[in-house]
Amino acid sequence: MPETRSTTHRNHLKLARRIVEVVLERGFPEGAHLTESALSTACGVSRTPIRSALKILEENGFVRKRDEGGYFLNTTPERIAADGLPGLDDREGSLAERILSDRAERRIADVQSVGTLMRRYDAPRVSVLDAIKILNSDGIIVQLTSRTWAFQPILDTPDAQEESLFLRMALEPQAILAPGFRMDSGKIGPLRRQMEEFLHRPDGGMSSRVFLHMDCAFHSFVAESSGNRFVRGTLLAHQRLRLTTQKDHAIPDFRLRQSLGEHLDILDSLERMQLPLAADQMTVHLRRSRIRKPRTVNRGIVPPGPGSAP
Amino acid sequence: MTGPLVALFPEASFGSALNCVGIAQQLQRQGAVPVFLCHPGFNGIFAEYGFREYQLPVASTAARQTEETWQAFVTAHLEHFSRTPTAQLATYVAPTWEAIVDSVVRVEDALEALLKRIGPRAIVLDNVIMFPAVANAGVPWVRVVSCAETEIPDPNVPPYLSGMAADDPGRPAFEAAYLDAVDAAHRRYNVFRRRCALAPLPAGQFLEPSPHLNLLLAPRAIRHERAQPLPEDRFVFLDGCIREEAQFEPPRLPVDDGPLVYLSFGSLGAIDTPLIGRMIEAFSTLPARFLVNVGGFLEHYQQVPDNVCLGSWFPQPSVVAQADLFIHHGGNNSYCEALYHGVPSLVMPYCWDGHDNGLRAEQTGTGRTLRRHGWSSRQLGDTLTMLLNDPALRERMAGISGRMARENGAAVAARAILRKLDRG
Repeated sequence: MPETRSTTHRNHLKLARRIVEVVLERGFPEGAHLTESALSTACGVSRTPIRSALKILEENGFVRKRDEGGYFLNTTPERIAADGLPGLDDREGSLAERILSDRAERRIADVQSVGTLMRRYDAPRVSVLDAIKILNSDGIIVQLTSRTWAFQPILDTPDAQEESLFLRMALEPQAILAPGFRMDSGKIGPLRRQMEEFLHRPDGGMSSRVFLHMDCAFHSFVAESSGNRFVRGTLLAHQRLRLTTQKDHAIPDFRLRQSLGEHLDILDSLERMQLPLAADQMTVHLRRSRIRKPRTVNRGIVPPGPGSAP
Repeated sequence: MTGPLVALFPEASFGSALNCVGIAQQLQRQGAVPVFLCHPGFNGIFAEYGFREYQLPVASTAARQTEETWQAFVTAHLEHFSRTPTAQLATYVAPTWEAIVDSVVRVEDALEALLKRIGPRAIVLDNVIMFPAVANAGVPWVRVVSCAETEIPDPNVPPYLSGMAADDPGRPAFEAAYLDAVDAAHRRYNVFRRRCALAPLPAGQFLEPSPHLNLLLAPRAIRHERAQPLPEDRFVFLDGCIREEAQFEPPRLPVDDGPLVYLSFGSLGAIDTPLIGRMIEAFSTLPARFLVNVGGFLEHYQQVPDNVCLGSWFPQPSVVAQADLFIHHGGNNSYCEALYHGVPSLVMPYCWDGHDNGLRAEQTGTGRTLRRHGWSSRQLGDTLTMLLNDPALRERMAGISGRMARENGAAVAARAILRKLDRG
């Protein structure tokens, strides 16, 4: 069944991403031997799916298979940090990704029927249903009737992004302050390395797309460390939404660097368990990220700015 | 050791603001400490580029935009956009000058106090009107002429905001109509100047040339031969003034082949959503990719074609560098960015200096103009096709781009400012 094959492929993609996380967490150098048994233990799955995931990693150039047997890392953690994981997103290049991208670009309306999607993408019913399933699992669309689906709000306009920041300013400091905040210390090193490598890039060499990946990874890390399950769930879902639909992010290089510096300062405070300080730093960081350009300006008129928001 | 503090004071427009960012980046590189005096609403814009900002006071609630005043503003302005420059004198130019004079009067005391507090060694004024506090600050001030070269009159230069040639027989009539239209604002402004101990200005003029330094954003390729050349010790022409901007990655489009065309009418032009909507519809039939800056009006657009991508903001210099054609309103900053990157312009002016720059694009063979209204999809398509497929034009633009890149106008501006400080 195609649906089953798709589900299996998605699971292998997830596993491939998990293997990359292990590589980052353990700081494997380029050329390191990635044994199936070690990865099987690290990921808690049998060797058969590990083999399939390694195959995907090979197809995408992350590892190479040697004639003498076994898979070897074909990149560096720094390069992975800088370039992200192209090819390993289960939506990337897929029908789900195309549908989401078209919605974010306002090419399709916010309510869609399966039939309309089949015609637009010249795709069989089963493929459209599979794509809908992926988007539905991320909370991006919900079912209205047996045949129609509605997109949930996404971060496709300046107003939506403003509201997103408002939500995050309310919740992210609280995610840190809620009792039970606990970090997975194995993830801090890779996060730091990613950001430090990016900071070393020259002006003009910093990609907004990669920054967005890194930014969402950092804020997701803070969210998943929270002791409050509801705050955690809300923020993780929101970061997924940002990653997939926030497209308008032309940020000057200075602010990109400043923002990464703020991430690193917050990480410092979190590692020292100075949680109130980290929460305050998070508030400052999000406030600084809330630059709203005037809607329209004209000589002699006073443009409304962030200070004028109700 | 800290370098000299230079205060940049751009008017409340993106062209001027971002032009000043280019100069500030070079000032910083050359050892100065640039800071910005900014209008409310622009706070944060300069900080994102790493510069300290000082905000001018927020106007009273009555003078600020609310949703109602905003709608009134849009309604009032849209209907003027399709009129001729002469017809706009009474309906757009005169009220805009009134508003500009209001803005000067409103901030004078606060600006004076602010300048005293921060104590700059020089002030860079990128505006169309003098703020008396700047002239009275006791430090050299630099005038940046970033609208169009027509701001500085000369018999060989077309009259300001006219969109007509210098030798147009209608020139005397336009000049008379201009003086008549702005007379009330001008008299009010001169009264204010006297109150601030500044000499009144001749009819029609709101900003005198600086006795220290004037920077004209007028690349060699489009510069006018003046009957009375401007003294070189006080007037420096800039071959562009391009800021360093974030890297832009063109998005993947469902229909992703063909030349890349960028459309931006500036933040004011973005209010004309019916026009942009019509253009997007026409784009859907053309074999090219289109990036369209729709400002804060994304919500107005649905059913975007597969070869079009809308955005509320683009890092323009980085986008233009990758574009094959730039459709804009004739704002000088946009026009100069097109020239700098060797990209032909299709100018669709709606007001102010856009008329002058549109004509200049035609006269210098660096682009074409199209009226904002009355065009057909076929006419638009033919114009784009012609601009995209003209090897001679492309070669000419490449030559202009090469010269401008070698000149680096923003660095020239920064050097001229610092040289003036050394001598002062």
